[in-house]
Amino acid sequence: MLELRDLYFSVGDRNIIDGINFTFEKGKFYGITGPNGSGKTTLAKLIMGINSPNGGEIRFGGKDISQWSITDRAREGIAYSFQQPARFKGITFRDLLAMAAGTDDQEMLLALLRRVGICSLSFLDKPVDAKLSGGEIKKIELATTIARNPRLAIYDEPDTGIDLWTIQPMVRLLKREQRDHDTTTIVVSHNRAFLEAADIVLMINEGKLAYRGDLQGALPMLNDLSICNYRKCVGDRDVGCYR
Amino acid sequence: MLDAIDKELLAAVADLEGLPKGAFNIRKNGQLLKREVTANIDIESHADGQGITVTIKPGTVNESVHIPVILSQAGLYDVVYNNFIIGAASDVTIIAGCGIHCGGLAPEGHAGIHEFRIGPKAKVKYVEKHYARGPGRGRRSLNPTTKVFLDAGAEAEMELTQIGGVDEANRVNEAVLGPDSLLLITERVLTEGSQKAVSTNNITLEGAGSRANMISRSVIKGDSQQDFYATLDALAPCFGHIECDAIIMDSGRNETVPSLKARHPDAALTHEASIGKIASDQLMKLMSLGLTYDEAVNRIIQGFLK
Repeated sequence: MLELRDLYFSVGDRNIIDGINFTFEKGKFYGITGPNGSGKTTLAKLIMGINSPNGGEIRFGGKDISQWSITDRAREGIAYSFQQPARFKGITFRDLLAMAAGTDDQEMLLALLRRVGICSLSFLDKPVDAKLSGGEIKKIELATTIARNPRLAIYDEPDTGIDLWTIQPMVRLLKREQRDHDTTTIVVSHNRAFLEAADIVLMINEGKLAYRGDLQGALPMLNDLSICNYRKCVGDRDVGCYR
Repeated sequence: MLDAIDKELLAAVADLEGLPKGAFNIRKNGQLLKREVTANIDIESHADGQGITVTIKPGTVNESVHIPVILSQAGLYDVVYNNFIIGAASDVTIIAGCGIHCGGLAPEGHAGIHEFRIGPKAKVKYVEKHYARGPGRGRRSLNPTTKVFLDAGAEAEMELTQIGGVDEANRVNEAVLGPDSLLLITERVLTEGSQKAVSTNNITLEGAGSRANMISRSVIKGDSQQDFYATLDALAPCFGHIECDAIIMDSGRNETVPSLKARHPDAALTHEASIGKIASDQLMKLMSLGLTYDEAVNRIIQGFLK
């Protein structure tokens, strides 16, 4: 349902995405992982149209969407959950949810709240501003993504700012959405809980697709020092990796 | 009595469909058009005809007074000096505003000087909107001055809005806060074309325990310019905050100068100011919800000025 063909994205003379080919199947749950700076988020942004590729093709539902705007991709059924969600002045959660769902009907908004597990009705009228905690803004981000009823949902580091006790319920929520609505789901994450939930793990390293398969198969590469980009000095002459 | 233009201007500046309920004073082209008083709210004209005194009895609660001004006479510059005497422990809403309809080449304008004396423990909500329209090319100017004197424990919440069409605006807000009083000012101004708006605010925190919060939201489109100056002058243990944000679009220009003066060691004064274009992450978020670029810009501006 989503096909990346020989995809390139570069800044200056550096290839951030370096010739990726992959086909995402309908209704599957994908975990994209890899070291910091490997190109994971850039790949997700290319799919949403936030960045434009320098070469290659993105096909969604059989259509070449490589040059489509964010708006057109959203209307075609792609939804995106930002790692660092935007904050606004004068816009409430209700406003955003209504925009996402295409309705301001109170009953439908309440049904959406229940669907994403937000029990407090007063939360609906919270301003989406700088006063929200990291956890609250992430809940809003997830809810507005799910409210789109997307065919393809992309979540960029959904656990950023989320406490340890919330991660498993969040994984269950995304899995339930995948199962109940046949949503093709892509989660960019370092968190093992999301990678364990994935049907297929993709590992990106230096802009290339370094691995595709189950998590077990990815573990040796995840532990490989060659993809460690947070190194420490070991003795006078050697380096190790923080794990 | 009210023609179609009058009704449109009243709807824009005072959310009125026709004549309001309760006390009101409607001024049209420099003359009194219609007035009503109530048992608790009295309105009297000044001897020179240039303004009114609104007196609210102590203990008056849940009442409102509308005092809109409408201008549709080419070449007229209307000046009024209005006094508001708010009795102790009252809780009232005052809706003011000026609407200009300009049909010709001659300029039209209005300067309203509003002076509030707010008694002990009284609460006032003051809503003022300025708006101009019409096919004429005459310059439309609105130069309001607001002076507020808050007695002990008094509270004033002021919403000051200029919603479009005004070529020149020179606003001055002055306030002196007594002990334990509270002042909240929210100013929202949108300029476009070659319009210019200046807002100068001087707030003196004179009484111990007084609190002031000044919020300014500016949207500057086209080649327009807005300047915002705000000074908090603290003479006692008090709290004051200025928050001023400006969104610049097209070739708009802005100067924002918040100023804090602590003349007492227990004064706590803060400010935050920002000038810039609409943040790209905000635009991308709304576009990812299916809005076009233009729809996203409008929605962000709408919220910002809400």
